[in-house]
Amino acid sequence: MKHNKDRILSMLLPLISLGLFFVLWFWLARAEDSMIPTPYETLLRLLEICRKPISKATLPIHIWVSLRRVLIAFFCAIVMGVSFGVALGWNRTFRALVNPIFEILRPIPPIAWIPLIILWCGIGELPKVIIVLIGSVVPIVLNTYSGMKEIDPLLLDAGKVLGAGRRQLLWEITLPATVPAILAGIRTALSSGWMCVVAAEMIAARQGVGFLIVRGQESGDTALIVACMLVIGVVSMLLSTVLIKLEGVLCPWQFSKTK
Amino acid sequence: MAVLENKISVRNLCKTYEMKGNSHEVLRNMSFDVRENEFLVLLGPGQCGKTVLLNILAELEQPDGGEIVFAGGRPRMGEIGFVFQKYALFPWKTVMGNVEMSLKLRGVDKETRRAAAQEYIDMVGLSGFEKALPKQLSGGMKQRVGIARAYASEASIMLMDEPFGALDAQTRYQMEDEILRICEKKKRTVVFVTNNVEEAIYLGDRILLLSSRPSSVKEEYVVDLPRPRKHTDPAFLALRNRIVSNTDLNI
Ligand SMILES: Nc1ncnc2c1ncn2[C@@H]1O[C@H](COP(=O)(O)OP(=O)(O)OP(=O)(O)O)[C@@H](O)[C@H]1O
Ligand SMILES: [Mg+2]
Repeated sequence: MKHNKDRILSMLLPLISLGLFFVLWFWLARAEDSMIPTPYETLLRLLEICRKPISKATLPIHIWVSLRRVLIAFFCAIVMGVSFGVALGWNRTFRALVNPIFEILRPIPPIAWIPLIILWCGIGELPKVIIVLIGSVVPIVLNTYSGMKEIDPLLLDAGKVLGAGRRQLLWEITLPATVPAILAGIRTALSSGWMCVVAAEMIAARQGVGFLIVRGQESGDTALIVACMLVIGVVSMLLSTVLIKLEGVLCPWQFSKTK
Repeated sequence: MAVLENKISVRNLCKTYEMKGNSHEVLRNMSFDVRENEFLVLLGPGQCGKTVLLNILAELEQPDGGEIVFAGGRPRMGEIGFVFQKYALFPWKTVMGNVEMSLKLRGVDKETRRAAAQEYIDMVGLSGFEKALPKQLSGGMKQRVGIARAYASEASIMLMDEPFGALDAQTRYQMEDEILRICEKKKRTVVFVTNNVEEAIYLGDRILLLSSRPSSVKEEYVVDLPRPRKHTDPAFLALRNRIVSNTDLNI
């Protein structure tokens, strides 16, 4: 009975809040000399750019261009970030040596790297990938490192009494115990990478969702701007949904609901 | 040949922790012997240093003074079984994965270690739960896994740190019978820690009563009651009264 009520509520409330969001949007757009397009205008523009190319590409192509940049950088970030974080967490000498530098570089927003990277690498694919890489590697390193630091010492004791050597403690105990933290880092990294790609494309690109927004600004096409913003939000949401599903598969002891 | 060989001799063990300038003495001149294949119970009040003592025996911590002599030399890591107060199961491993861990770490091939682990899973009554994850098990079942995991290492010494401390009374009685049955089946030298007098008398061949901190051995009791013991047996109750009246207050 109560269970049923909860289910109805959890289905109904999101619909209500989404509905309110669109009403509010519509109402703001209708206000006098508003710069905001109505939801309907935005939708029309969205459908239009799906068919009519801008800068030789339709919307799906632009999304794919951005996504490809993110994914390339993202996989590099996973490999680099996890190895770096593990080294940081496992080797005291390495930590003492490298952590101070990392602590200084870490708080610099990835976007602040854009000018320098463009000066170094020009405006091809590489600079965008590097900027996304900078943005997504940091959360992975941080989560991996703190996950290793916060491992339950009891699990290490259990490993030791069962006869694990130092290397086995790393591979059999510490790393598996850190997987949930690493996955959490990966999820943050993907959304941070997606934000970085848009920022990078807004500064120098001929394709991609970030480029489309700037094009909208240059031609005073607010419907295009808002449509792209929506697309950015929805893509990011889908990406994180996919990752949450993946977490449940990769790491059922932590994330799956089986009780 | 000695009739009762000492499996472990503990002599004058001391341990003090330094915390923010305060020194915190936990063990003071702790000495006792553990005999081959006996079920020795260490009975002590809460926070008296029972876990610290077992950790030192298992070489997870170093004593500040004193020595421990093992018959046949210091066992290597993995040659002492340890059952943890808080289970300490690997949450990412299934029941099977946990129980076979010691064999895996030793490099035993998959088929052999699976077969060996299966025997211990069956022994603790968890047949059918091989693929379950620890979070899907009740407290009693988790500790069954903990016991199977410790036994599967084939260690001749078992250290058990209040293994049933977190269980409800009903499950606790059940587990006590279970552990006696297992000890009957697989002869090992068991050092069993508890703060529960009835549990100590129900299980032990011998009980060492520990004082409160800084703790040392206060008194030894040999329990020569026939098994299965009954909590209502007058001899049981008499021993219980003797121990209780000699027990330091829990701080
Ligand atoms: N690593 C440590 N650093 C500082 N103090 C410690 C450490 N380990 C244990 N102690 C202290 O030693 C004392 C004994 O701890 P221990 O865990 O051995 O008690 P215990 O007898 O096992 O208690 P319980 O019945 O609650 O399990 C406690 O006061 C604890 O604070
Ligand atoms: Mg304890």
